[in-house]
Amino acid sequence: MKNDMRVFYHPEGRLRLEFEGKCYLSVVPIWASPLTHPSRFLALVDGKGSQILMFKNPSQELSAENWQVLQTELQRRYLSSQIHKVLEAKTEFGATYWTVVTDRGCKEFVTQSLQENAQWLGPDHLLVIDVDGNRFEIRSVQGLDEASRKLVDATV
Amino acid sequence: MPTPETLSLLENPDSEPLILLESDLTEEANFGSRTLIVTKSAVEVREPGGATLLRTEVSDLRGARTEPLVSGGRLLLRLKSGEEITAISFSLTHSHQFSEAARGIEQLAEGKDFQINLTSERTRCAKCNRLLPEKDGVCPNCVNTSKTMLRIASFLAPYKKQAIFLALMACVSTGLNLLPPKLQATILDHFNEGLRSLPFLYQMVGFWAITLVAVAGLQILNGRLMTFLGTHISSDLRTAVYRSVEFLQLNYFDKKPVGAIASRVTQDTERVWFFLVDGLPFFLINGLMLIAVTGLLLSINWVLALCILAPLPLVGFISVRAWKPISNLFHRVSQKMARVHMHLNESLTGIRVVKAFAKEDHEYERFQKRSNELRDAAARADMTWYTAFGVMTLCVSLGTVIHWSVGGYMLFTNRLSLGEFYMIHAYLGMVYGPLQWFAQVNNWFSRAMAGAERIFEIMDMTPEPAARKGLNQVVTGAVTFESVRFGYDKSNPVINGVSFDVKAGEMIGLVGHSGAGKSTTINLLSRFYEPDAGRILVDGIDYREFDLRGYRSQIGIVLQEPFLFHGTIAENISYGNPGASLEEIMEAAKAANAHDFILGKPDGYDTMVGERGSRLSGGEKQRISIARAILHNPRILILDEATSSVDVETEKQIQVAIQRLVSGRTTFAIAHRLSTLRNADRLIVLERGKIAEMGTHEELMTKKGAFYKLVQTQSQINEIIGIGTGA
Repeated sequence: MKNDMRVFYHPEGRLRLEFEGKCYLSVVPIWASPLTHPSRFLALVDGKGSQILMFKNPSQELSAENWQVLQTELQRRYLSSQIHKVLEAKTEFGATYWTVVTDRGCKEFVTQSLQENAQWLGPDHLLVIDVDGNRFEIRSVQGLDEASRKLVDATV
Repeated sequence: MPTPETLSLLENPDSEPLILLESDLTEEANFGSRTLIVTKSAVEVREPGGATLLRTEVSDLRGARTEPLVSGGRLLLRLKSGEEITAISFSLTHSHQFSEAARGIEQLAEGKDFQINLTSERTRCAKCNRLLPEKDGVCPNCVNTSKTMLRIASFLAPYKKQAIFLALMACVSTGLNLLPPKLQATILDHFNEGLRSLPFLYQMVGFWAITLVAVAGLQILNGRLMTFLGTHISSDLRTAVYRSVEFLQLNYFDKKPVGAIASRVTQDTERVWFFLVDGLPFFLINGLMLIAVTGLLLSINWVLALCILAPLPLVGFISVRAWKPISNLFHRVSQKMARVHMHLNESLTGIRVVKAFAKEDHEYERFQKRSNELRDAAARADMTWYTAFGVMTLCVSLGTVIHWSVGGYMLFTNRLSLGEFYMIHAYLGMVYGPLQWFAQVNNWFSRAMAGAERIFEIMDMTPEPAARKGLNQVVTGAVTFESVRFGYDKSNPVINGVSFDVKAGEMIGLVGHSGAGKSTTINLLSRFYEPDAGRILVDGIDYREFDLRGYRSQIGIVLQEPFLFHGTIAENISYGNPGASLEEIMEAAKAANAHDFILGKPDGYDTMVGERGSRLSGGEKQRISIARAILHNPRILILDEATSSVDVETEKQIQVAIQRLVSGRTTFAIAHRLSTLRNADRLIVLERGKIAEMGTHEELMTKKGAFYKLVQTQSQINEIIGIGTGA
C-alpha cells in the first residue's frame, strides 16, 4: 500500500502524481502486460516515459480514489475492445466481415489474412486485429455463448 | 455525414466548416459517433443530435496535435493559457484523417495558410454498404462481373480464331458424347423387337467406336487448345500488369509494401489463370452438357424426366451448402500445416540457441503440439468430406432409384421401350456427376473476378509521365532550382522555397540533419517526383519539358546501399549500357578501382554476384556501382555517399574512384565524410526544407554558422565512438 501517493487530474485532462514529496506532471498509466496479465502490473510513467511506480495488483494496492482516477484514464487510453458476442462472421473473397457486441457497444469490422491477424494468445484467448489495426479481444472463447463460439470456430 | 445542424453553418461564410470529420467513438469511448467541426474561428465537437460537447475559439489556441493511444488516438488542443485539452478520441480507422485535421488546426492557430490534404476516405462500399477491406479499395462483393469478364475477354482478341474454334469444338464434342447411349438404345430396341441382325449390330458398334475415337480426339484437341489459351491469356495479363507496375509513380511504392504489389503480379494473375484453365472449361462443357441432356431427357419422356430430375435441386443445394464449411476446414488444415512448417524452420535455424539453452524437450513438446493440431484438423476435414461425399452419393443414386421405379413401371406397362429406358439411365450419370462440383466453380469464379479487378485497378492507375513526349537532347548539366516546394504529402512540404544555381561541372555537397530534405532534393532532381510549386531548370529549360526517360538516362546515381542485380559482374557494370564491350567495361572498372579485385575472383568478370550482390562485400559492391556509373557516363551525377564501415584501404580506393567519377560532371553529393565535403566546390546546408547556408567549406567554417555546428557535433560523436571502441 502506497499511502503517501495521490493521483488526480490537474488541470482537467492532465494526470498529476504526488509521491514521496515529489510532484509529477503528465503521468500516464500503462499496463505492462495487458494481454497475458490483464488488470495486473500497472505502471505509472512520467512525461518522458520513465517508470515512477508499478502496482502488481492495482485494484488492491491503490486507494479507492486513486484507483478510480486511474481507471478513468485507462478507459480513455485503452481503446481496444472485448468481444462479448459474435453476431456474424462471414468470410468471403479472402476478407472476413464481423459484427460483434463488445464492452464498448456494437461494432462492424473487416479483417484480412486471418492467419496473421487472429492471434491465439492462449488456448482459449483470441486477439483479432482489423484492417486498420484496431484490436478486438476475446478473453475466453469457451466462455462465449454457443452461437458465437461456433462462428469463431468456423472462421478462425 | 453532415447533419442538418452542421449544414446550417454553411449559410454563414465565416463559420463555413473547413474540416468536418466524424469519429467512431463517443465521449465515454464507446462505439458511436461524434463530429469535429473546424471553422475559421472555432473548433467544435458535436454529438450526433447536434448538441455541442466542446467549443474553443481559434483565437485561444496555440496549436493542436494527436496522441496515439492503444487501438486509437485522440486530438489534443493546446490553449494559449498553456492548458492542453482533449477534444475528441477516435479509433485507428480515422487516425490518419485526424492527424491531418490537427495540422489544419495548427495552421489556423498560427495564422498560416490553411492547406491540408483531407480527403474523405470511403470505408464502406457505395453500392452494398459493406465495409471495404482496403480504404477506397475494391468491394469484392460488388465487383462488376460482366464488365470485368468483358475486359478479360478483350485479352482473348489476339486468339480470336482459336477461341471460336474451341467454342465450336466444345459444342460438337458435347453432341458426340450424347451419341453412344442413343446407339446402344437402338441396338437394345432392335433386339427387343425380336430381330437378330448381326450386320446391324456391328454397324451400330462401328458407329459407336468411331464416335469414341472422335470424342477422344476432340477432347485431346480441346484440352490442348484450352491450356494454350489459358496460359497465353494469363501470361499476357501478367506481363501487362508488370508493365503497368514498372511505370507506376514512385509514391505508390512508398505507400504499398513490395510484397503486396508483387502478389498482384503473381497471385492475382494465378487466380485468373486457374479459372481460365480449370474452372471455365469445366463450367462450359458441363453446363452445355447439363442443358443438352435435360433437353434430351424431356424430349424422350417428360414425365419420367421430371421425376428423375426432382432430386437435382437438392444435390445443388447440398453442394452449395456443404462446400463452404468443408473448404474452411481444408483451409484450416493448410494453416496448421504452415504452422508446423514455421516451427520447424524456426527451431532448425535457431538450433544452436535451442541446444545452448538445453531446450530440446521444450521445442519437442511445441512441435508435437502443433503436429497434433495438424492431425486433428486434417482428420476433421477429411471425415467431414467423406460424410458430405456419402450424402451426395446417396442423392445421386436417388435419381437412379427413381428411374428404376418410375421408369421400370413405364417399361413394364409398355409406355417406355427398353432402349429408351437404357438411354435415360446412361444420361442420368452425365447430369448428376458434374453437378456436385458446381458450387466450387462458383467460388473459383468469384475469386478470379476479385483477382482480375485488382489487376485492372493497377493497370488503370495514372502512370509516370514517361509516355509524355518531350525534348530529347544532351544536356551540359547546369541546374537551377527556382523556389521549389514539394511534399510527399502535398500539405506537408519537405522542401519549401529552395533556390540555387549550379554551373555545369560543379560539385555540390548537400549537408544537413536527417529529414532536412537532402534525399528529397535528389529525388526531385532525378525526377522521381516533380515539384508542387516552383521550377527546376536544366540548361535553362524547365526539366518537365524533357522526355522523362531521355532525361533520366543522363543522370547517374550511386546509392548509399548499392543495388546489384542477379547476374555477372560484367552484366552489372554494363546495366545502363548493355552494348558495351569487355574493354569498355574493364576501363570503367579500372577507373573505379575495381579491376584488381575482380581479377582476383576465380571467374573474373563472369563472377555471379548473387541475389542483390550478396556474394560481394560492401566495398566491392560500392566500387562496382561506381564503375556502372562511370560507364554510363552521365552528365549529372548523384552520390548518396556511403557511411558503411569499410577498412581504411578500401575507403581510400573508393575515394579515388569517386574523384575520377566526379571530374567533369555536375555532381550532387549527400556527403557525410569531411573528405568528400572538402572536395566539393560548394556546400548547401539544408535545415527543415530550407537552405540555411551556402558556400565553400572554408567560408562556412569561418562563418561559424549551421555548418560549423554540424561539424562540431559530428567530431564530438566520432570522439565518443573512438572511446567506445577503445581506439
